[in-house]
Amino acid sequence: MRCMASSNGRGSQLLRGVLDLCLLAVVQDEPAYGYEMTKRLRALGLSTVGEGSIYPLLGRLERDGLVETYRAAGNGGPPRKYYRASPEGQRALAAGLAEWRSARDAVDGVLGLVEAEVRP
Amino acid sequence: MNEFVGECRREWKRLRVPDLVADEMAADLAADLEEAEAEGVSAVEVLGSAAADPRSFAAAWAGERGVIPPAPLTARLRGKALVPIAIAALTTVAAVGAALVIFASPHAKTLLATVPFPPPPPPARTMAAGEIWVVPVKVHGRFLVPPAQTRAAGVGIHRVGSILLIVGIIGVLLSTPLLFGSSSRRFKTAQP
Repeated sequence: MRCMASSNGRGSQLLRGVLDLCLLAVVQDEPAYGYEMTKRLRALGLSTVGEGSIYPLLGRLERDGLVETYRAAGNGGPPRKYYRASPEGQRALAAGLAEWRSARDAVDGVLGLVEAEVRP
Repeated sequence: MNEFVGECRREWKRLRVPDLVADEMAADLAADLEEAEAEGVSAVEVLGSAAADPRSFAAAWAGERGVIPPAPLTARLRGKALVPIAIAALTTVAAVGAALVIFASPHAKTLLATVPFPPPPPPARTMAAGEIWVVPVKVHGRFLVPPAQTRAAGVGIHRVGSILLIVGIIGVLLSTPLLFGSSSRRFKTAQP
């Protein structure tokens, strides 16, 4: 029998498709630097451990103009680069959120049937 | 941790990332890793699988930021032109080698010189020691001169031709992938 993807592999693929939206979401209201974003995600239950770092993705968001950056002293330490969602980033987040909810509802519709069949 | 940041800096320098940009990325990365360490969080928890490969991480980050300058035009053109020229030269070498192998073979009929019929008669005298007499031989109406005096030279030319042919073929085989492949480093996008 062909083995299905492990739960870790599938989780990575799922996260890979929406992590940019998650990063925009955690800096939508309050700017944050790189490690701080990681902590915010973890506090909300989203762990990126083993998936790779967020820095290249932040670089992409910055290059695409979805985040604005500035340098400021952080937590009494050296100046850090802070990120916040730009107006274009806000629009991208809204559009991405709609796509995510649509896909999530569609998948729930399919997997909900399967769950009903296996329930004793 | 400092070693990780140091490796990243070296990779950015190799990629010719502007110093100001590299300094900024290194400072942010170092500050983040130090804060994480102070909170008992390992570099792996911050960087994920990238913690084991600083060069790839640095290249991916710089690539996604778009701060890696393109290679100079002359270098790109030079690189693009050199490979086809090299392949053409090596092909020529192989062709010359093949020609020498074919026409300089000890068994090749073309080594046999032809002389018109009838050939002049040999001088009437006895052979000296080490002297080689060329005796005309008539074949199909034409007189042929046995290649005794050219056999040694033919073997040498054949060997040279074989070497040129082999060198040319190997060179073309090794150079052809460069024509289609990319010489530039590919940057992996660090996956979340």
